[in-house]
Amino acid sequence: MPERRRSPTTAERLGRMLVIVPYLIQHPGTSVAAASTLFDVPADQLRRDLDLLFLSGLPPYGPGDLIDVDVDEDGNVWISMADHFARPLRLTRPEALAVSLRATELLATPGIPEAPALASALAKLRDALGPDTLGDPTGIEAAAAGSPPPHLPALRAAAADHRRVRISYTAASTGEASERDIEPEAVFASAGRWYVVAWDRSVDGERVFRADRVSRVEETGVGFSPRGLEGAGRPLYTPGDHDVAVRLLLRPGARWVAEYYATTDVVAREDGSVEATLPARQTAWVARLVLRLGSDAEVLGPEELRAQTRAIAASALARYGR
Amino acid sequence: MPRDDDMEPLERLLNLVGLLLETERPMTFEEIRRILPAYGGDNLDSAKRKFERDKDVLREYGVPLEMRGTDVWDVEQGYTIPKERYYLPEIAFTPEEVTALFVAAQSTSEETAAAQGVRKLLYGADGGILAGAETGPLVAGSDTRGARVIAAADAAGARRRIRFGYRTSQGVSSERDVDAYGVVFRGGHWYLVGRDREREAIRAFRLSRCTTELRDAGKGTTPPEGFSAIDHVEAGPWQDVAEDRAIVAVAPGTVVLVESTFPGVERRSERDDGWIVVAIPAADEQALASMLLQFGADVEALEPPSLRGEVIRRLEAFADA
Repeated sequence: MPERRRSPTTAERLGRMLVIVPYLIQHPGTSVAAASTLFDVPADQLRRDLDLLFLSGLPPYGPGDLIDVDVDEDGNVWISMADHFARPLRLTRPEALAVSLRATELLATPGIPEAPALASALAKLRDALGPDTLGDPTGIEAAAAGSPPPHLPALRAAAADHRRVRISYTAASTGEASERDIEPEAVFASAGRWYVVAWDRSVDGERVFRADRVSRVEETGVGFSPRGLEGAGRPLYTPGDHDVAVRLLLRPGARWVAEYYATTDVVAREDGSVEATLPARQTAWVARLVLRLGSDAEVLGPEELRAQTRAIAASALARYGR
Repeated sequence: MPRDDDMEPLERLLNLVGLLLETERPMTFEEIRRILPAYGGDNLDSAKRKFERDKDVLREYGVPLEMRGTDVWDVEQGYTIPKERYYLPEIAFTPEEVTALFVAAQSTSEETAAAQGVRKLLYGADGGILAGAETGPLVAGSDTRGARVIAAADAAGARRRIRFGYRTSQGVSSERDVDAYGVVFRGGHWYLVGRDREREAIRAFRLSRCTTELRDAGKGTTPPEGFSAIDHVEAGPWQDVAEDRAIVAVAPGTVVLVESTFPGVERRSERDDGWIVVAIPAADEQALASMLLQFGADVEALEPPSLRGEVIRRLEAFADA
């Protein structure tokens, strides 16, 4: 755990004690280290707060009225004389809503193995906390999830066990299928789609793959040491040194492009359109995106992209005998 | 042990919570002061100030500190923490359920309310199972700060009226005045669904497009009979459970891309040239034509003729440019 955190306020320390102590009472002999991980509290702070707990109790505060906290030489914690702290504080309304919202996000993603257990846990939580804490439970909904990518389990297993695999992958940027040896380190979902963060040995670089565009996964029998590539929460596109900066004019019907892709230097114009720069390793996919946007967008630069767009349009027209 | 004035604030607070949880009847500040020397001493004003600050801390953490009459005549008001409002009710979670909640609370955002909430639920769970579940967040979450989504869900659950600045996908900004009815997660975005008072219609607002915080504007209204928030958040036009099917030929290498773009695609046959003929559920021909162009020369729209014609028209506009 990186030691970048500020020291906690008294309120925060109280809040976590009212949650950790019930756990320690229910699980006698839990180690300070385990509790520290589980509740995300540095071990030294936890020990210090437990020392204070030892000094508190109930009236009349005779030796028999104080909470007994024993941390043995192996660092295991034993608490007694604290029945009034044997159960945790209720969830506040924002906490209950936050749990419910996070669970809803997860349940909207196809292929989460924990989904059935999560759905039943959420139902129990709503029943137990009631409308005062959770409000009208029908007010939080998610769109029905589609089906998970067929090779998701194989990719997750390879990432968990640090096994190099050979995949067949169709890149949207080129529209071409290729075989790659990858070392998958993290598998996560974003906006309902699954991604694999991996070291791609064929280009000797970090790449993010969409799991639903993997059409085959083959074992190589080789393991690897993870490089610590970043998982969920990372940008889905990693800009490179050789990227082309495409400048686009996006009319209102195409403004979503500036939101959807990792664009920079977004400038709004008075007529409701925006100018934005889209970094791209390859420009073929941008040319096809421009075809899709039609009159809603315009390429401001580079000139080669305009030519590329015309060329793709011409070869597509040839398919229709034009 | 409560001794004097300079004990650690945390110790003082733990004693106060214990005392007020266990007390048979509400206690006045005078009584609390007699029992907890931390609030004692000669200076009554400073003791009172300390007590006021501590009350705020307790409330900040959701400790239900109440004032009630100390007897049936309500002559004196005292403090108490009602057990039924303080303690988490018994919830019989299975180990799998607690693990699932723990996984769900792992988040990439700064918002810690979900993690704090789930930690309160761990006391009945087996720590060994949970330690193994700590593999980092599975889902990147939405494009909106957690606090704003919580505020929207809070307003919807409590049937509040809210005001906020909003910019449409077309870039038009205005101030909105909405009776909140529900929140919906679709395609990685959270939406607030409610009655737009000015437009007198139910609308969906993508929360990432709010230009201000949500401000409470009093009591709202109740949604109409049979209301379902999700019905008001549009799916992509090709995601509709449309009866119509567009028939498209796809280059072999592009089939995977087409399948990952349009939910509900079915492979129908293989052409002599090796291209795969697929059926795509299509409710909106314009939108589908536009999406197909993204596959360049690797797809050919076959049917209906109007779709084919639209794709050709759009391509010609580019080739002539």
